[in-house]
Amino acid sequence: MSKVLKGVGGERAFKGATISALVLLTVFIAGIVLSLLAYTDWGGFVSALFSEEILFAIRLSVITATTAAVISVAIAIPVAYTLSQHKFPGKDIVDSLLDLPIVMSPVALGAGLLVFFSTPIGSGIEDNVLRFTFAVPGIILAQVAVVSALAVRLLKSTFDNIDPRYEQVSRTLGCSKAEAFVRVTLPLARNGIIASAILTWARAIGEFGATVTLAGATAMKTETLPIAIFLNLASANIARATTILFVLVAVAIGALFIIRKTVGRSI
Amino acid sequence: MIDIRNLSFHIGSFSLKDINLTIGDGEYFVILGPTGAGKTVFLECIAGLHHVKQGQIWINGREVTRLTPEERNLGYVPQDYVLFPFLNVVDNIGFGLRQTRSSKSEMHRRIKSLAELLGISPLLERDVNTLSGGEKQRVALARALATSPRILLLDEPLSNLDLQTSKYLRLELLRIHRELGITIVHITHNQVEAEEMADRIAIINIGSLEQVGKPHDVFFYPENEIVSDFIGAMNILDCDSYRPLGNGLAEADCGGLRIILAHDGDSVRRIALFPRDIYVSDTQPPGPQINRFKGTITSIASRGATVRLEIKIGEKTLYAEMPDDIFGGMNLAVGKEVFLILKLRRMRVL
Repeated sequence: MSKVLKGVGGERAFKGATISALVLLTVFIAGIVLSLLAYTDWGGFVSALFSEEILFAIRLSVITATTAAVISVAIAIPVAYTLSQHKFPGKDIVDSLLDLPIVMSPVALGAGLLVFFSTPIGSGIEDNVLRFTFAVPGIILAQVAVVSALAVRLLKSTFDNIDPRYEQVSRTLGCSKAEAFVRVTLPLARNGIIASAILTWARAIGEFGATVTLAGATAMKTETLPIAIFLNLASANIARATTILFVLVAVAIGALFIIRKTVGRSI
Repeated sequence: MIDIRNLSFHIGSFSLKDINLTIGDGEYFVILGPTGAGKTVFLECIAGLHHVKQGQIWINGREVTRLTPEERNLGYVPQDYVLFPFLNVVDNIGFGLRQTRSSKSEMHRRIKSLAELLGISPLLERDVNTLSGGEKQRVALARALATSPRILLLDEPLSNLDLQTSKYLRLELLRIHRELGITIVHITHNQVEAEEMADRIAIINIGSLEQVGKPHDVFFYPENEIVSDFIGAMNILDCDSYRPLGNGLAEADCGGLRIILAHDGDSVRRIALFPRDIYVSDTQPPGPQINRFKGTITSIASRGATVRLEIKIGEKTLYAEMPDDIFGGMNLAVGKEVFLILKLRRMRVL
């Protein structure tokens, strides 16, 4: 074995193996897109795109995902900054807990929220503050639950990479801790904040599991784009389902493109 | 005035141990020590970047030990300058002024005069990421001086610059010190820098203050072994006869060595020369034959980044020191004959 893999021959074999993996994965993903292209009835595509249902789904998805992304990033900035700056007892536990939504199944997360709203406190909130279950706020809450952890993770690595001496210098130039954060740390974290906002938004647009569990799949009411795919597949309306698929692919490619353009390839 | 009383501070496995130090108004004060001696941590304690729990720091008659950096009004230039990369030169310099709520025209005037003081007027609209090291240092100085602090803290301000820039900035710093009449605390590991710039020097090693005094006292009369080890033993030459040559030059006979030196006085009894100010070469160097001698190496000792040679010239023994890499490039061994050049400019008459 070691004899075979040494020298120029070994280098070539290793290079060949790694490149094959790259080709395989690229072909796989390109294949999915191509099969979609081949399957689509382009005459029906435009009319489907402008159907009342799909326009509703696009609008609902954009509104909920944007709200969810703004809320998530707004919460994640102080959370990530605290995790990056401070050492405190139990930090590892807090850190792991915050990572839970990333590795957990979204359906389980949605189910957890559903259970919470059946408790006395939860139903109290529902009756007196805002209705979440099977309603639009539930979509936003489900999306926030899933994507906020992602925003925290991305922003923490952004803050970790900022040299603390920038803040120190600004303190000697007359900034309070809060002013140093606003005038120095936030501008330094700008690219990371933009990237995490776009990624959380794109992830929120595609969120299905938690949303469907908490807010349900009611056509023209809690029907976001992924839920629209689900509903149309269930009623065997394949043409409409593929149309929505294209919208989602376009959104995903657009998001990746904007990230590449604004913050380079660091993420 | 900066008054430090019984300051102790621990960070990781390192600690500053019971430091007492008074730095006078308008002094150019240099803190000198090897890498890892705790110079930066000490400066950061003065700047308020650490929570000091033991001891007190007083600045101009006010205790500041528990005050935050923004409450101390000190100018601070960290090593590598740490300019804000998202601001251009003007906005970097004006950063502290915006904090003081100065008016637009006031800010403009202040930035303009600082830029003139530091010779960076043509750079004002530049992106700081495109500046050279020397330019960055000037911008960092202007930024620190913008709010008119009475005390300026400099962390290794000249060490990452090329030799030419560093020599020039040395003069600039002294000029700024003189023109503004401020107190400067400057830390460095470079002895020549310390000697040439300081009104007084403090030697710090492994978190302890070893000696404080005028450069002359610290270099010629080290108080303990740690200081003399760090400074390196001097070559002291006792001179028997002396003859002025005119034009500020004199000739002395010191233990059989005929030495030309820059001196105007009546007599020369002793001459001191640092080992690093003796050039050693294994071939006959070109140029005028002044202060050049032939000797034999009697011992070679490695001292980390430098190598110390003991060289016998007739009856006299001289010490020479050279960087490790230069030593490696020459073919030197005990018993070998070498050529020495004693640097005229660096000789001191005691």
